[in-house]
Amino acid sequence: MNETSRWDPVKDLMHGAAPVTLGAMHAYHMARTPRRILYTLSYYKFAAKMIAPGRRGDDPPARVLDIGCGEGLGTWLLAAECGFAKGVDFDAELIATAKQNWPAERATFECADVLSMKSEEYDAAVSFDVIEHVLPEHAGGFLRAIAGHLSPPGIAIVGTPNITSKPYASAVTNAGHVNLYDAERLEREMAAHFKNVFMFGASDEVVHTGFAPMCQYLIAVGAGVW
Amino acid sequence: MIDESSLWQGVKDLIGSRSVTLGGHWSFNLRNDPKRLPFVLSRYKFAAKMACKGREVLELGCSEGIGTPILAEFATGYTGVDLDAEAVAAAQRNFHAGNRRFIADDFLGKTYGSFGAVVSLDVVEHIVPQIEDRYFDTVAMNLRENGIAVIGTPNKTADAYASAMSKAGHVNLFDAAHLLRAMRRIFHNVFPFGINDEVVHTGYAPMCHYLVCVGCNKREAA
Repeated sequence: MNETSRWDPVKDLMHGAAPVTLGAMHAYHMARTPRRILYTLSYYKFAAKMIAPGRRGDDPPARVLDIGCGEGLGTWLLAAECGFAKGVDFDAELIATAKQNWPAERATFECADVLSMKSEEYDAAVSFDVIEHVLPEHAGGFLRAIAGHLSPPGIAIVGTPNITSKPYASAVTNAGHVNLYDAERLEREMAAHFKNVFMFGASDEVVHTGFAPMCQYLIAVGAGVW
Repeated sequence: MIDESSLWQGVKDLIGSRSVTLGGHWSFNLRNDPKRLPFVLSRYKFAAKMACKGREVLELGCSEGIGTPILAEFATGYTGVDLDAEAVAAAQRNFHAGNRRFIADDFLGKTYGSFGAVVSLDVVEHIVPQIEDRYFDTVAMNLRENGIAVIGTPNKTADAYASAMSKAGHVNLFDAAHLLRAMRRIFHNVFPFGINDEVVHTGYAPMCHYLVCVGCNKREAA
C-alpha cells in the first residue's frame, strides 16, 4: 500500500464522468475574475435552499425556472438541489453551451425571451444579474412575466447588483447595466407582484440582512403571487 | 471655548439620563454568560428584518422584553405575551411605550388580534410534543392574511453541548426537518435558516446551533 495505490480507488470512484465544458463566458471569468463564479453560484445555492429546503433525492422535484441562465452552471445547481430546472436565455450561444453539459431529464434549456415565451407553471423562478440589463420601462413587465410563470404559492428570487456598488464596478461589469436598483425600489417593485417580499444582501459569498446601502448585491425573495 | 469635556457633554445630553434595571432572567444571564445577549438579540434582529417593518407585531413568549425594542423599532405596534408574570412586569417596567403592550397570559389557543407578524423565539422547545400543534395553530390564528411568522428554537443536534441551564425546561427539541414539517402544516411558503453565534445563514442544517423558520402565505385550513 502506498500513496498511489491508496489514491487509485478514489480515482476509480470518479471515473467515467462526462466532461464538463466551460463556455466562452465562464472561461473568460475563470481567466480574469474567477471569484465571480464563486459568488454567482453562492446566490444560486441560496436560492436552492429557499426553494427546496431539506429535499432528499427521492422527494418529488420542485420545478424551477432560471431566467437569464447564461451557460447553465447555476441552472444545474438548482436542478441538482431542487430536482428539476429549466434555463432560458435570449443568447443562443450561451444556451448551446448549457445544453451540451447537463442531463436533459434534470435540466433543460431554451433560447427564449421571458417576456414572450410560452407560459408554464413552475414552483419557483430565479433571475440573477438580468434585471439590471432590462430597460427601466420594461422592468415592470419583466417582473410581471416572472410572476406569470409561477403557481399561486410560487417563489421568485431576483438578484441584481446594488446601485451603491456602481462606483466600484469594472467596465465589463458596468457594460449593459441600464437599470440598477437600490433595495427600496427592488422591494417595492417585487411587492407589486408578490404577497410577501423578503430582502437580503450579499457581500462576497455571504448572504445576509445587513444595512442595505452597504450590500454589494441585492436578493429579493417574493412568495405568493398576487 | 470647546474642549473634549464639553464636546462629550453634548453627546451625553443627546443620550439623556434614563436607566433600565433588567429583570431577574437577564440579570442572571449577563452575570453568568454575557455572550448570550448578542446571540439572542441577533435572532430578534433577523426576525425584525424579515417580518416586522410597517407591521403590527405579536411576540409569543416575550419574557422580560429583551427583544421588544428591536421588534418594535420599525413596527406599527407591538404586543408581547408571556405566562411568566414576573418577567412581563419587568418588560412593562423597562420597555413600555405608547404603541407597545405586554400581557401576562398562557397564550396557547388564544387570539390577541390579527397581526401582520408573529415572532416566537425559544418557546416551542418548552411545549410538550403532545400539544405542539396547538402552539403552531395559535401562531396561525393570530396572523392576518399575508402575515409572516418567525419561529426559532435550538437545534436538537446542539443538545449534547448545551449547559444544564439551557437544557432546563427543554421538553421538545426540534431538528430542522421537524420544524420545517410543523411550519409547512400552517404555511405554503417556509424559508428555513440556521444560526451559529450571531450569524444567520443557510448552511448544513444538522450543524446549525439554532434553527429559525420564516413562514408566510397561510394555508386555508390554518
